[in-house]
Amino acid sequence: MSRPTVSQERRSELEHKVQKSKEIIREAFGKFDAKQLAVAWTGGKDSTTMLWIIRQVCLEDGFTQPRAMFIEEGDTFPEIMDFVSEVSKKWNVDLDVCMNKDVHDAAGGVLGAKVLVSKLNERNQREIRERLKLDVESFPFEAESFIGNHLMKTVPMNIFIEKNSIKGIFQGLRWDEQPARKQDEYFEFKEKEDLQPPHTRIRPILHFMERDIWDTIFTFGIPHVCLYEQGYRSLGAKTTSVKLSNVPAWEQDLEHTSERAGRRQDKEKMMERMRKLGYM
Amino acid sequence: MNHVFWMSLGGRGANIGMIATLPDLHGFSGERGMDPVRNVVLVTIDALRQDMLATYGHRGGLSPFIDSIADSCVVFERTQATGPYTQASFPGILTSSHYFDHGRSTHLSQQRTLISEPLRKAGIVTAAFHSNPYLSEYFGWNREWDVFRDFMDVDVSDTVPFLKGDDINRHASDWLSSHVGKRGYKSFFLWVHYMDVHEPYVPRRNYLKMVHPSVELSEDEMFRLFKDVLLKRNVSDKQRVDLLRKLYEARVREVDDHVKQLFGMLEQLEVLQDCIVIMTSDHGDEFGEHGGLSHDGKMYQELLAVPLLIFDPERKRKEICSKLVSSIDISPTIISLLGLDPVKNFQGQPLLPAGDYEEEGCFGEAVEKLGHKTNERDKEVYYYMEGDLKIIYRGNTDAWEIYNLRDDPDESNNLIGATPESEQIARMRAVLKQRIGRWK
Repeated sequence: MSRPTVSQERRSELEHKVQKSKEIIREAFGKFDAKQLAVAWTGGKDSTTMLWIIRQVCLEDGFTQPRAMFIEEGDTFPEIMDFVSEVSKKWNVDLDVCMNKDVHDAAGGVLGAKVLVSKLNERNQREIRERLKLDVESFPFEAESFIGNHLMKTVPMNIFIEKNSIKGIFQGLRWDEQPARKQDEYFEFKEKEDLQPPHTRIRPILHFMERDIWDTIFTFGIPHVCLYEQGYRSLGAKTTSVKLSNVPAWEQDLEHTSERAGRRQDKEKMMERMRKLGYM
Repeated sequence: MNHVFWMSLGGRGANIGMIATLPDLHGFSGERGMDPVRNVVLVTIDALRQDMLATYGHRGGLSPFIDSIADSCVVFERTQATGPYTQASFPGILTSSHYFDHGRSTHLSQQRTLISEPLRKAGIVTAAFHSNPYLSEYFGWNREWDVFRDFMDVDVSDTVPFLKGDDINRHASDWLSSHVGKRGYKSFFLWVHYMDVHEPYVPRRNYLKMVHPSVELSEDEMFRLFKDVLLKRNVSDKQRVDLLRKLYEARVREVDDHVKQLFGMLEQLEVLQDCIVIMTSDHGDEFGEHGGLSHDGKMYQELLAVPLLIFDPERKRKEICSKLVSSIDISPTIISLLGLDPVKNFQGQPLLPAGDYEEEGCFGEAVEKLGHKTNERDKEVYYYMEGDLKIIYRGNTDAWEIYNLRDDPDESNNLIGATPESEQIARMRAVLKQRIGRWK
């Protein structure tokens, strides 16, 4: 298996980017107490790299490592669960695995199973009726459908933030992930809304491109989940992440092909468009 | 024939053109000659019927701007799309190949050559701006473009589920102005796709007033028409179908303004004089001509006849080409205009000079889906056209249709079985037969 090696010049470039991230992270620690901060960790290459950089800052400046929030959406790759478990032990990370158990149990834990809205708890019902403004009686249990994404990912995150009085949450988003991201800022304050606690979202690695992440991983020896070796470029829920290649992610043509081509969530967006255009 | 060499100094580059002087007291025909052009712009308008433009006979004044520049265009009167809906048609336009060449697949096959690829190899900068899900990154259409925006991540409303032409233009303009900002900018190929004519037909009020002032419907009512009539393919009420058509026409008037805005932008950036602009559509829309609406898997002219105009700023007189051409010829034309070597995988031929174009007969294919839901069990439908004759094969019913488009432009008189098959028809049938299920 070939691992990319980088030139001195490139290494220097990467160190620069890491340094920039550290500045953002330090700014966050300046604004908030370590106990009020948390890291949204998916086990993917971006958030793991971000977690590593946060860890470096904590080691360097003597901060307490913020707790990590891992969202179990009911359709997680076992490889990712194992990886997250392993790394959190190695790095002494306070890990919180969050799940919308109510929805998961209503589906009997079975993907695709029909969930009756009336059987859900009040919070979930309100989320569907008031936040999503949907007037449905049931929906299939899928992590990356419109409803699924909200109930299984956004809701647990909001509950986690509320429960732990989190003021700032680190997210591993990058500008080049998709065009919608181009407007993202390092610090974004989310106002209090019904069912959403006020909090700041901090994105320390926005300026990293996909190639930069891989080069950083190999240059600094940051762990990554084995699924990338198998050809997955982008990881989401297990049933909706498709690998379009058998070649390790970092060996694929990152610059000219789409990182998210195999992500079902984007397929959802598109199918929604097709529906609106009269096609389905 | 006398040849005169001249240098035209204008804008950001010098063009050396060769003009053939004709025995014409008013001077020359204004042809560029076949020297490479600096930039090419491709404007595709989704679902625009050929017969909506004055250049193709419409009397309703739906396209004043396009009409106004027709004198600087080569107009191809008989252009056939390679399919009756976007998925089936665009492989023709951007890869010069046919929809089922590599089997029935939704993703853009790696075996096809997308126009962006040879252009990238030649160092030409490519940019694409559109909002049609079938042409999105998800299906692989972003391959090799320097800039590719499909705006799938943007929120859209139910009544306008796409990016409007003025937004597309704004994005294209932002990109282009930064690109040409430097002296000696690299040649570019810009593709913009307008969805403004596509259903649901909910035109902006002022455009409806312009073309059909008697129609007074609220947005809600227009959207209701889409849901109750169009989506259900319900042609039983002629008045409502007519209403749909009027709303559609208002949309055509609107997209004409977007084309005007685009040209204005090119002019303002001082690049228009160095551009050839190709304008076309991917397919039309049906208004009950064959018992249906919208653009399903049907091979009739209301869906397949597309406008094709090639604008050349140095052209002074409209040239009309009546040869039967296909949108499969568009990418080879772009390659030829930019002075590049022909692309092996491209099946079409350059459209210009129109005089040199050799008519070959046109093909098209699609899934024979009827109604707005796709069904995997649907078989394919094909057509082959030569001269005035068009032969159609429908897989779902294993049925053949033959039309003589000169005698029967409405395609209401199926010649199959009616008369003994002429040699030409027999030959055409054999040719089309070979293509049926050819990938299996």
